[in-house]
Amino acid sequence: MRQCGFNGERAEMGVYLDYQSSKPVDQRVVDVMLPYFNKQFGNPSSLHSIGDEATEALEKSRQKIAAFIKAEPDEIIFTSGATESSNLGIIGYVMRNKDKGNHLVISEIEHISIHNITKYLAKNGFTVSKIPVDQYGRVSISKVRERITDKTILVSIGYANNEIGTAQPISHIGALCREKNIVFHSDAVAAEGLLPLDVKKDNIDLLTLSSNDLYGPKGVGVLYARKGIRLNPLVIGGGQERGLRSGTEDIPGIVGMARAAEIMQKEMKEEVKRFTVYRDALINNILEDIPRSHLNGHPTERLSNNAHFRFDGIEGESLLISLKDKGISVSTGSACSSKTLEPSHTLIALGLLHEEAHGSLELTCGRFTKQHDIDRVLEVLPGVVERLRELSPLYR
Amino acid sequence: MKSTQYSEKVLDHFRNPRNVGTLKGKDVAVGRVGNPVCGDLMEFYIKVKNNKIEDIKFKTFGCGSAIATASMITELAKGKTIEQAVKITRQDVADELDGLPPIKMHCSNLAADALREAIKNYQKRQKTESTAQAAVATQTKKEIVGEEEFLNKGVFHVVDDFSIFKDKRVIVVDKGERSVEIALSLTKYTPRVIFVTPGKEITAPKELEKKLRESNVKILYESELLEIKGVNEVEQIHIHDLNEDEEYDLFTDAIIKLS
Repeated sequence: MRQCGFNGERAEMGVYLDYQSSKPVDQRVVDVMLPYFNKQFGNPSSLHSIGDEATEALEKSRQKIAAFIKAEPDEIIFTSGATESSNLGIIGYVMRNKDKGNHLVISEIEHISIHNITKYLAKNGFTVSKIPVDQYGRVSISKVRERITDKTILVSIGYANNEIGTAQPISHIGALCREKNIVFHSDAVAAEGLLPLDVKKDNIDLLTLSSNDLYGPKGVGVLYARKGIRLNPLVIGGGQERGLRSGTEDIPGIVGMARAAEIMQKEMKEEVKRFTVYRDALINNILEDIPRSHLNGHPTERLSNNAHFRFDGIEGESLLISLKDKGISVSTGSACSSKTLEPSHTLIALGLLHEEAHGSLELTCGRFTKQHDIDRVLEVLPGVVERLRELSPLYR
Repeated sequence: MKSTQYSEKVLDHFRNPRNVGTLKGKDVAVGRVGNPVCGDLMEFYIKVKNNKIEDIKFKTFGCGSAIATASMITELAKGKTIEQAVKITRQDVADELDGLPPIKMHCSNLAADALREAIKNYQKRQKTESTAQAAVATQTKKEIVGEEEFLNKGVFHVVDDFSIFKDKRVIVVDKGERSVEIALSLTKYTPRVIFVTPGKEITAPKELEKKLRESNVKILYESELLEIKGVNEVEQIHIHDLNEDEEYDLFTDAIIKLS
């Protein structure tokens, strides 16, 4: 297998184009985290100087995250990750405000965590409306407006889709919700580090962030909750994070996430430029070289690192294993690679048939992607698709 | 077990599948089994001589284990008598492959089913050599639930202006030659046109039918619309796959059903 540099280190590593699933922690992030494991190991709740160091690290980190999304430090709540952030934001808000109404609006292509949170709420006295998207995965403002009733208390639409990379008209949805006096939650996990986030300008009331998607450690996340938005806590205990998220703070993780956000803020513009070149090379060459191949998602309003395809007549899992054999790591929306054998709900929402959703391939690049990674995929993929099509009764 | 954690034997059959292809001839019987919702599809071709499976080929659309199980069952069945071959179970296939992840057992089920289907078709032909092909096109249901409600809110009985379909997902119901022409014209306005016909073939002149098949239009054979759904306008349709007798929903923006 070819040698490839991750974080400047040499490791046995093939081509990795699955940054959407997981990102390596940036070495610069690891470096700032290390002292907090055994040197500055204090608990912010302690009143001695070791505790004070921890408090300072915590509050500095809060400021850095706030700056990253143009929020105030006291609007940042540290959690154990994006899933907990969305749970706290959505369940915490609707449980606190259920006297105002019992209706929520989400889109058909929300992340599975949002779907499952609202499924849980639907079993507990709330009603949920789902907005269909167009064939490119965009939510239309008029459909959001149509679904809103006088019982609606929360709208949750992801900033961008984690699978197909379509970006949503977030500032328009935010403006509509503000006009209707409805709280707007957005899961920004797929978008963070790729699109500039500005919670004030976009009228976002609740925002979910993950640390790993900024090349920080897993197991840390943030919920931004605008001043004045009242939440019920889900984790009860010693009253940390203003009583909204109890439990001793994970200082190494929090410091790491903050450093990751700081680096991202500086380097994002340059990175996005580079990703766009890679993405466009993948899209243009694959659509041209492989007959009956299609781009999933929006042709222009899409994340700069996301290229998502489907190929008539072949199935995603066999595509994935074939590429794995060639040392290339990618993702698919195929049911056969999922736990439930259901195809991706996002691809179905685009209006694709099951057999089409099965043939999908997701390529996402990231900080350590190099031109030769892209070249390798372009070299290998046409042959792999051709071989699988020879086996297929659907492709003649 | 993760779906990609296959045994070496599964991976070997996936990488180098045995007996891929099709067979032709009077003594060949075909078995086709699929599940449009799950997405897997298998075709087996058997050539029977002196009550023995002399040759066998397959084609598969499906995951790694679907391909591997199909390949394995061709090895198990080749040279066996019809009576022996029909007894091959999914467990036999899985065992020969040194096991499958539990969630993948349905794939090997499909392989055994498709082989049995081919054998059944062979036996049927032995009995009634000259029986004519079953009637093809099923009559389209007259009434689609919601058709009236969404008329001109996504359902169209006439088309004057194609530009209203720009970037929309459009379903065109087979109403003969003119509907095929409309489907073809629509491809200039949107990448997503689906042509739905109850038949196994499209009832249009050969030339036009060929054009449709070679175009970007997705054709759904042996399918009919049962219901149109949405809030204020068309958002989803409910389709009946007549061949597999399965029903499913499909997101769409417009339906053209010429009157």
